[in-house]
Amino acid sequence: MNNIRNFCIIAHIDHGKSTLADRLLEKTGTITEREMQAQVLDDMDLERERGITIKSHAIRMDYKRPNGETYIFNLIDTPGHVDFAYEVSRALKACEGALLIVDAAQGIEAQTISNLYQAIDQNLEIVPVLNKIDLPGADPEGISQQIVDLIGCEPDEILKVSGKTGEGVEELMEAIVERIPGPKREAEKPLRALIFDSIFNTYRGSIAYVRVMEGTLRKGDSIYFMETQIDEYDAEEIGYLKLKKEPTDKLEAGEVGYVIGSVKSLQDARVGDTITHSKNRATEPIPGYKEVKPMVFSGIYPTNAEDFEDLRGALEKLQLNDASLQYQPETSKALGFGFRTGFLGLLHMEIVQERLDREFNMDIITTVPNVKYEVVVSHKGEEFKKLVDNPSEMPDAGKVETVFEPYIKASIITPADYIGPIMKLCQDRRGVYINQLFMQNNRVEIIYELPMAEVVFDFYDKLKSGTRGYASLDYEFIEYRKGDLVRLDILLNGEPVDALSSITHRDKAYEQGRKICGKLKELIPRQQYEVAVQAAIGSRVIARDTIRALKKDVTAKCYGGDITRKRKLIEKQKEGKKRMKQVGSVDIPQEAFLAVLSMDEDDR
Amino acid sequence: MSGIYLHIPFCKQACSYCDFYFVTRQEIRKDFVNRICEEIDRYAATRYSEEPVKTIYLGGGTPSLLEVGEIERIFIHIEKVFRLEPEEITMEINPDDVTVDYLKGLRSLGIDRASMGIQSFDADRLIFMNRAHTPDEARFSLEVLSRAGFRIFTTDLIYGNPGQETEELEADIDQLLAFDPPHISAYALTIEPRTRLGKQVELGRLNPADDDLVSDHIDLLNEKLSANGIYRYEVSNYSKPGFEAVHNGSYWRHENYLGFGPSSHSFWWDDEKGASRWKSENNINLYLSEPFEELYMEKENLPMDELGEERLFLGLRTSAGVSLDELHNRYDYQLSARQREWISQKKDEGLLQFDKQIIALTGDGVKIADHLIVELLTRK
Ligand SMILES: Nc1nc2c(ncn2[C@@H]2O[C@H](COP(=O)(O)OP(=O)(O)OP(=O)(O)O)[C@@H](O)[C@H]2O)c(=O)[nH]1
Ligand code: SF4
Ligand SMILES: [Mg+2]
Repeated sequence: MNNIRNFCIIAHIDHGKSTLADRLLEKTGTITEREMQAQVLDDMDLERERGITIKSHAIRMDYKRPNGETYIFNLIDTPGHVDFAYEVSRALKACEGALLIVDAAQGIEAQTISNLYQAIDQNLEIVPVLNKIDLPGADPEGISQQIVDLIGCEPDEILKVSGKTGEGVEELMEAIVERIPGPKREAEKPLRALIFDSIFNTYRGSIAYVRVMEGTLRKGDSIYFMETQIDEYDAEEIGYLKLKKEPTDKLEAGEVGYVIGSVKSLQDARVGDTITHSKNRATEPIPGYKEVKPMVFSGIYPTNAEDFEDLRGALEKLQLNDASLQYQPETSKALGFGFRTGFLGLLHMEIVQERLDREFNMDIITTVPNVKYEVVVSHKGEEFKKLVDNPSEMPDAGKVETVFEPYIKASIITPADYIGPIMKLCQDRRGVYINQLFMQNNRVEIIYELPMAEVVFDFYDKLKSGTRGYASLDYEFIEYRKGDLVRLDILLNGEPVDALSSITHRDKAYEQGRKICGKLKELIPRQQYEVAVQAAIGSRVIARDTIRALKKDVTAKCYGGDITRKRKLIEKQKEGKKRMKQVGSVDIPQEAFLAVLSMDEDDR
Repeated sequence: MSGIYLHIPFCKQACSYCDFYFVTRQEIRKDFVNRICEEIDRYAATRYSEEPVKTIYLGGGTPSLLEVGEIERIFIHIEKVFRLEPEEITMEINPDDVTVDYLKGLRSLGIDRASMGIQSFDADRLIFMNRAHTPDEARFSLEVLSRAGFRIFTTDLIYGNPGQETEELEADIDQLLAFDPPHISAYALTIEPRTRLGKQVELGRLNPADDDLVSDHIDLLNEKLSANGIYRYEVSNYSKPGFEAVHNGSYWRHENYLGFGPSSHSFWWDDEKGASRWKSENNINLYLSEPFEELYMEKENLPMDELGEERLFLGLRTSAGVSLDELHNRYDYQLSARQREWISQKKDEGLLQFDKQIIALTGDGVKIADHLIVELLTRK
């Protein structure tokens, strides 16, 4: 009997994946009442605080059917946010089925669709689940119809559950057994185990999470990484992913578990790679391995130059847990030594920054994020291509032949009432209209192609605020296209500040320049002497502002002998001063390097 | 030689800019006077009472809400515990409390310096500040001072108010000069977060005065006062030569002082290694009910290098400046090479003077003293 079921839970953000996982853990007795807490699988501090899943989480459960049979469930809870779509794609590969969760009040949203398509691409059995049926605003009929329309199932195939009350979860567990096929159990074939996740543990080093596709992995086996072609490790410990790790002697085809290498830092365990035996190697790795490609880049610099090595160490450690984080050293005239760091998206960037702060106590300055450009440069009559992920590296206008920028295809799902404002927003962002599809309940899916640079920053916020929170967005990279782009430099007292350069569309450059100057004027405190703030394209100044000289800065009083208060104030100012970067004779506070991002509403 | 500060935590009403500690309940005044006398008595025969007391300062709150008899009781306790060699006994007095008899009573207790809480002579401005007095009361109080025998007095003046035109300040200054004050404490309004003004600024209903305007106010003050023989000797203090405040000066010079009453501060040298500073809880109920030991909080032991740094910045706020010899001999504090380099640069820029080992900020320098101090200290 094939009593294993490997499945993941996929859905749009916040539709209740992790909460439903809680119920499964509870009903299968994987977790005791005492251990239970909301979204128990979201075990990172940041996940708990923000109430979102950032990483996939795998766990094994034993399910006892009402008829007495026992099954092993390997569940992978996935994140819903678009930045982490890559996590979902990896999780899908380790499974035969997917529970597609749809919030019974919100209905189908952008990531519902994108995750569904990914699952279909992987040939997974889709189990549609209508969740949150306990909500007063739930519309099980209408939303069921949306699901039927989307995946072409029968209405009675849709399970109706509440992750909150537990209603319908028994039926769901039965459906998992009955509808999701068991894995192929080709334990005799040469070993092929897919690394679908890897985490870093301070004591144990890297731990690879694997799904054994074919063959058998035994404790102590010498292993070989097929993509990275590394042959140095033994599988020192292998086991199952219960709430705690449970060591075992072998993992057979169809099973999900973990591998800890003999060398403490199993750094070569790249997610997506295939593990086989050193000796009896499989011929082909599991197809579909691709390096994660960061979409958004920003400079990260230590506030204190001495912390550069610490920052490198911190990034190294973060990367062990997060293969999508990429970085390489760079230098800035203004900020000194730092790293150009690539992220999946803005949320990812925010999370990395926050983790650097909290887990590593790093005080950092980040520059305005940008996308990666392809630039054709002509030099002495010869043309060559250059990749630019740092605006200050964009060659001067005279040398640039053509600039290509990444485009994405965006799918926006919205109540039909908001079509107008959404189109306006996309148009303002240089979008190309593709089409729109009407769905049940007066909803529309609008498709646009847009320059990624126009989307990654504040597009989502604008979309949300323009639709009272109703619209959802999903996007994927499509291709590079030619764009009329220029480098906008910022000069303080005539000196260009490289870390403040940005790349922008020519038509928007004037507006942008004016606004950055205005924002910098606001953010940079007055200095002893007047500071000229200028925006320029090449040698042409297109906007200018002045930070007036400091005329008065003195606290009036030392209150009735309360010198301590005065001293504390000075201490605080000293700290603030130390955290500023001195460029030429100008002190620049850290926020100023993100000036463009903090320009609000109609600023951009 | 030491100083004594008495915090009298009562006011009639809350001024809109004020974040001093006070209550408006007057019923507990008797209990308070008893309690502060007890607090004074605790120092009998301690090392703190060995030093002669040079100055006494009654501040608040509004000390002039106390009756003469109540102040007398407090003074009797002070005289019993401490050895007095008074050079200056100051009391803060609000104009609305002034009668000739009251002032005479104060004089008879030995109080020789009246610090008048005038702030402004402008009726609307006084309302804006929610002061309890009127312009007439302000003028009357200054008129009767000398009749009551107060030769030395100081008046508070607040400039840099939101929406305050230079003409308004000029009128205030002229009015004040008409009374020939030997000393003026002129403060640029600081908007503190936990005050009515602070709230209004936070809510965006009020804009603090522009720094450029405040800077003009400072120029105007310096000009008008010095034309009348009154010179700035500290950021917010102006006097005729010889009339500088003794008590307040002791704060800047790190002389010993003891504070009594809730939210008062004390400073005392321990030995050659450092000094202590402490503050008493700003809560009148606790002050009346809890053992004194429980009231002293934020006790700090200040090591020499911190004291040296403090002396440096406090000194830079005064026209006398600070002497490097003093820093070295008294605090073992020495300037770094980067600091010295900075000093000569700022000297060239006309922001400070450096002469015979004494550094002092110039008029332009004082206006941005905080900025300069932070620059200097971060170069250590
Ligand atoms: N009323 C009700 N609320 C639910 C139910 N399931 C989840 N929620 C709530 O919905 C919110 C999101 O739940 P999560 O389980 O974190 O959603 P998620 O899909 O895992 O979110 P991401 O991982 O960030 O994409 C939480 O506030 C839950 O308490 C349900 O069945 N009924
Ligand atoms: S009288 Fe003095 S202490 Fe009382 S509220 Fe007004 S300013 Fe503050
Ligand atoms: Mg989740």
